[in-house]
Amino acid sequence: MISTQPIKGNLKPLKILLADDDKDDRLFFSMALKEITIPTKLTTVVDGEKLMDYLSENTDQLPDVIFLDINMPRKNGIECLTEIKQNKKLKDLPLIMFSTSNSRDKIGMVFKNGADVYIHKPSDFSQLKQVISHALPIAVENMFSNGSLKYILNA
Amino acid sequence: MAIIKKTDEEELLIAHKELAFQKEEKEKLAGELIIARKELAFQKEEKGKRAAELGIANIELAYQDDEKGKRAAELGIANIELAFQDEEKEKRAAELGIANIELAFQDDEKGKRAAELGIANKELAFQNEEKEKRAAELSIANKELAFQNDEKEKRAAELGIANKELLFQNEEKEKRAAELGIANKELLFQNEEKEKRAAELGIANEELLFQNEEKEKRAAELGIANKELAFQNDEKEKRAAELSIANEELAFQNEDKEKRAAELIIANKELSFQNEEKEKRAAELIIANKELAFQNEEKEKRAAELIIANKELLAFTYISSHDLQEPLRKIQTFVTIILENENENLSENGKYNFQRMQLAAGRMQLLIDDLLAFSRVATTELKFEKTELTVIIEEVKTELKDTIQEKHATIEAIEIGSANIIAFQFRQLMYNLISNALKFSNPDIASHIIIDSKIVKGDKLNNEKLSPEKNYCHITVTDNGIGFEPQFSDRIFEVFQKLHGKEVYTGTGIGLAIVKKIVENHNGIITATSELSKGARFDIYIPAA
Repeated sequence: MISTQPIKGNLKPLKILLADDDKDDRLFFSMALKEITIPTKLTTVVDGEKLMDYLSENTDQLPDVIFLDINMPRKNGIECLTEIKQNKKLKDLPLIMFSTSNSRDKIGMVFKNGADVYIHKPSDFSQLKQVISHALPIAVENMFSNGSLKYILNA
Repeated sequence: MAIIKKTDEEELLIAHKELAFQKEEKEKLAGELIIARKELAFQKEEKGKRAAELGIANIELAYQDDEKGKRAAELGIANIELAFQDEEKEKRAAELGIANIELAFQDDEKGKRAAELGIANKELAFQNEEKEKRAAELSIANKELAFQNDEKEKRAAELGIANKELLFQNEEKEKRAAELGIANKELLFQNEEKEKRAAELGIANEELLFQNEEKEKRAAELGIANKELAFQNDEKEKRAAELSIANEELAFQNEDKEKRAAELIIANKELSFQNEEKEKRAAELIIANKELAFQNEEKEKRAAELIIANKELLAFTYISSHDLQEPLRKIQTFVTIILENENENLSENGKYNFQRMQLAAGRMQLLIDDLLAFSRVATTELKFEKTELTVIIEEVKTELKDTIQEKHATIEAIEIGSANIIAFQFRQLMYNLISNALKFSNPDIASHIIIDSKIVKGDKLNNEKLSPEKNYCHITVTDNGIGFEPQFSDRIFEVFQKLHGKEVYTGTGIGLAIVKKIVENHNGIITATSELSKGARFDIYIPAA
C-alpha cells in the first residue's frame, strides 16, 4: 500500500518507508506524519518480505529512512534489519526500529544488528508525533556519521 | 581145477557175501543218509527260523537302543534338572542353615532365660522348703516343749499328790505317837513289863522322829524342786511364745516371698508380652517408614511438577500480558486522536466520557506493566553478585527525585554495607519499598525514611523461619507514614491486595508482591510491622554469603 504526501514549502520531502503489519499502526503513523512539521513522503508495506521486495525493486529510488516494526509475519523486523545491513547497496540506509516491546534484550539485539534508533510505540497520539519528529533528524544525521549514534525514544 | 573151482566158488561165495554185506551196508548208509538229510533239512529250517528270530531280535535291540538313547537324553535332562534342584536345595539348605542358626541362637537365648528363671524359681522353692522345714522344726520343737511342759506338770501334780500323802502319813504317825503316849501311860501303869517295851518304844520313837525329820527334809526338797519346775515351765512357755511369734513371722515372710515369686512370674509374662508388642510396633514402624518414604517421593515429584507448572504459568502471564498491551495501546491512541482532533465536535459529556475511558485504559496499562514486572522477576535468570547497597539506594533516590521533593522527604541510610544480591532485582525492590513509603506518607508531616543494614546471626533475629547458625543481611526500611492495621501484615504481600481504594491511592497491588518475590529469589524472608498512623517497618533477611 502506497500513499503519497504533498510537499510542504520549498523543502524536498523526506522519503519514508514503513513496514508494519498492523493496519491501525500504519494509520496512526501516516496521521502523525501529516501533522508534524517535517515534510515527508510515506510508503508503507505490510510485512518483512514485502519490504525486501520493495527495496530490491526500487534500487534507484531508495527511501531516506526506514521505520521497521519488529513483530511481523513471514519475515520479522530483526531479520529484515540483518538482511539490509548485509546488503552493500542498502547497508547505509538509516533504520528506526518501531515496537511495543520494551525488553532490554530486544533493544540490545536491535542495536547490535545496526539499527540507529529504537522507538517504543507510545499510546498517546501527541507523543507519537513527538517521537517521530525526534527520530527523523537523528536517523538522517546518522546517515552522514556512519551510524555511530544510538537512541532509544521512549514516550 | 576143482580146487580152483572150489576156490573160485568159495571166493565167489565170499564175494557174494561181501557184496551182500556191502549192499546191506549201502542200504544202511542210504538209510542213514536219508535220516541225515532229513536232519539237515530240519536243521536248515531251524537255522532259517533262528535267523528270522535273530532279525526280529536285532530290530528289537535297535529299538531298545533308540529307547535307551532317548532315556539317556531324558536322564541327561533329568540330571541337569536334578543338579539345578540340588543347587536350589543347597541354597535353601544354606538359608535354612542360617535360619536354623538364628533359631538356635534364639532358642539358646530363650533357654538361657528359661534356665535363669528356673534357677530363680528353684532358689525360691529351696528357700520355701527351708522355711517350711524350719517352720516344721519349730512346730516339732513347740510340740516337744508342750509335751515336756505337760510331763512336768504331771510330775508336779504327782509330787503334789506324794506331798499330800506324806503329810497324811505324818499326821497318821503323829496320831499314832499320841496313841503311843497314851499307851505309854498305860504301859507305865503296867510298869515293869512295859518298861522294856517303853525302852523299845523310845527307840522306836526316836527312829520315827528321825524318819519324820527325813520326810520333812524331803518335802522341803520337793518344794524347791517344784518351784524350779514352775520356773522352767515359765521359761518354756516364754520360749514357746517366742517361737510362735518367730513362726508367724516366717510364715509371713514365706507368704511375702510367694507373692513376690508370683509377681515376678506376672512381670515376666508382661515383659514378654511387651517385647512382642514392641516387635509388632517395630514391624509396623518399618512399614510406616516405607510408606512415608514412598509418600515423600510422591511429594517431591509433585513439588517438581508444581515448580514446572508454576514456571509455565508465569511464562504464560508474561506472554499474555505482553500481547494485551497491543490493543490497549491502540485504544489509548484512538482516544488521544479523538480528543485532539475532534475536540470541537464533542459535547462536554462526550469529552468527559472519553477522559474516563482514557483513565481506565491508563489503569489497565499500569496493571499490565506491573504484571509483566512481576512475572519477569519470577522467570528471569538469577545472577548473584556482591553489590554496594548504597549505590542501589542512590540510584533509586535519583529516580524518585521528583516525588521526594514533592513530599519533602528525607531518606537516611545508616550502616549500609554490601550484599550478595541480584542487583537489578534488588534495585526494583528498593524502588518499590521507597516509593511505597513515599506514597503512603502522612500528609501532615514530612516523610522520613530510614534504611539500615546489618549482618546478624540467625539466632539473634527472633524469627523461627531463619536458621540459627546462619548469618543474615538484615535490612530494614522504616517510615513515619500512615501505616496499616497489624492484621494486614501478611496480606499486603499478596498479588492485587490493596488496603485503599484506587481513587485515594493509585496502584495495582502488585508492588509488594514483587518485593516479596525478589526477597524469595534471594532465599530470604520479608516481614512488615505497623500500626495505623504509626509508620511502617519492613524487615528483610537474606542469607549473607
